[in-house]
Amino acid sequence: MLENIRYFILRALRNMRQWPFLCSAAILTMAVALATVATFFLVVINVEQLAQRWTEEIQVIAYLRKPVPQRDLAGIIETLKNYPEIAEVHYVSQQDAMARFRTRLADDASLLDSMDADVLPASFELGIRPSFRNQEGIDRIIERLENTLELDDLRYGQKWLERFNSFVNMLRFVGLVLGSFLLLAALFIVSNTIKLTLYARRDELEIMALVGATMRFIKVPFLLEGAIQGFLGGLISLLFLMLSFNLLISRSLTSFWLTPGDFQLLFLTLNQQLGLVFSGVVLGVLGSLSSLRRFVRI
Amino acid sequence: MIQLYNVTKKYSSDSVAVKDLTLQIDKGDFVYITGASGAGKTTFLRMLYAAEKPTRGQILVDRKNITRIRGNQIPYLRRKIGVVFQDFKLLQSRTVYENVAFALEAQGKKRYEVSKKVYQALKEVGLEHRLQRKPLELSGGEQQRIAIARALVVDPLILLADEPSGNLDLGVTLEIMELFKRANARGTTVLLATHDHSLNQRFPRRIITLDKGKLVGDQRPLPG
Repeated sequence: MLENIRYFILRALRNMRQWPFLCSAAILTMAVALATVATFFLVVINVEQLAQRWTEEIQVIAYLRKPVPQRDLAGIIETLKNYPEIAEVHYVSQQDAMARFRTRLADDASLLDSMDADVLPASFELGIRPSFRNQEGIDRIIERLENTLELDDLRYGQKWLERFNSFVNMLRFVGLVLGSFLLLAALFIVSNTIKLTLYARRDELEIMALVGATMRFIKVPFLLEGAIQGFLGGLISLLFLMLSFNLLISRSLTSFWLTPGDFQLLFLTLNQQLGLVFSGVVLGVLGSLSSLRRFVRI
Repeated sequence: MIQLYNVTKKYSSDSVAVKDLTLQIDKGDFVYITGASGAGKTTFLRMLYAAEKPTRGQILVDRKNITRIRGNQIPYLRRKIGVVFQDFKLLQSRTVYENVAFALEAQGKKRYEVSKKVYQALKEVGLEHRLQRKPLELSGGEQQRIAIARALVVDPLILLADEPSGNLDLGVTLEIMELFKRANARGTTVLLATHDHSLNQRFPRRIITLDKGKLVGDQRPLPG
């Protein structure tokens, strides 16, 4: 058994050494295909993470036609808090709003000196419970607010966020289609590359069959060769991703204005990295298998 | 050792390679298969090592019916049969040693066993001093001797040779015939397809003659 394994590995390595060009072509094709698919995966998980963060920060701001009298305030806050969709309630009075505006204007705050506090509307800032952070939840909150308060205007980022989510879904779909297409193309190329090497070695295959080699004996080294090539392809794609992620993307993107301050770009987890390399192995084995089935006959 | 019953092989409806062949070859026989080109000699041999399936009829090799043999059993049939071709069929990128060892490795033999047997087989054909050469560095006769060593290294029950001396001069042919005779003397059944009648005059043996796929003659040498 050990003797056989040693023999199979030696033969697979010798085959690869004998046809270095074909072998590198197969490895690089797989590396490119795997790296592309993994890049898409990374883009999708990071955009999703970003969307998640934005969803967490979403709140409904209800601007009021008239400020709430002090004596009613506690009651209204209590009512709002009792709604199952609402997690927290914060009342911003006209004075608070002006104070915020001043802070935001900073050095130019003197522009507001001649203005009364009542130019700005009072408002409720409502935090939403996670399970209601969708269009339906928002709609219910709006309905409740309209029944409870005299509203002047409502602001929430939900529409925009939904559009963003559908963009993420599209991205995921495109990634899936493009990825499958690329993997198929890689499979096809790997299979053809191995077919070429089989063609170049048809004498050897014929003689093997003639001297009584079993199908397993003939095929295993080629499958092993595919697996080794796939493993190397997967490894190269992983190294390429790591390098480009660390050197280029993560540095330039974290300073991008869209990302919150403590936002960390995600890279593949250890399991996903192993999965990438393993996909290479599977790709290589499938590629060899499909060409062997057509090529090797006793 | 080999029995054929009404064996016919057609490649297409109007191309019959072997027609209604019935014959028996005993263990330890030495048989010439003769006939003009296209007589069906090669097809006959190819059916014996299951490279072709007969269209009709039954073939028994070593008491096993190989007409109904399953694909995964073919390798085990071939381990009993050594085959030698006119064009040698050697691997040019491998050394003499590797070419002969290949037959044993393909059968999953252990390394120490392989090296011992390969050396013996090459010594038998007189090429033990050429172990590390590549086939193309050697003469045609030497290449054919490597092919014979490869066929014999597995101690086959049957040795099939398809025009083994077709490309070789008389001196080399006689050397090769000597190797076949020695293998036959050790008990291997030898079938030698040839259109060279002079061989039979030098080494009289049973002659099976085919013409357009049909058996037209089966002569045994006169005793004495």
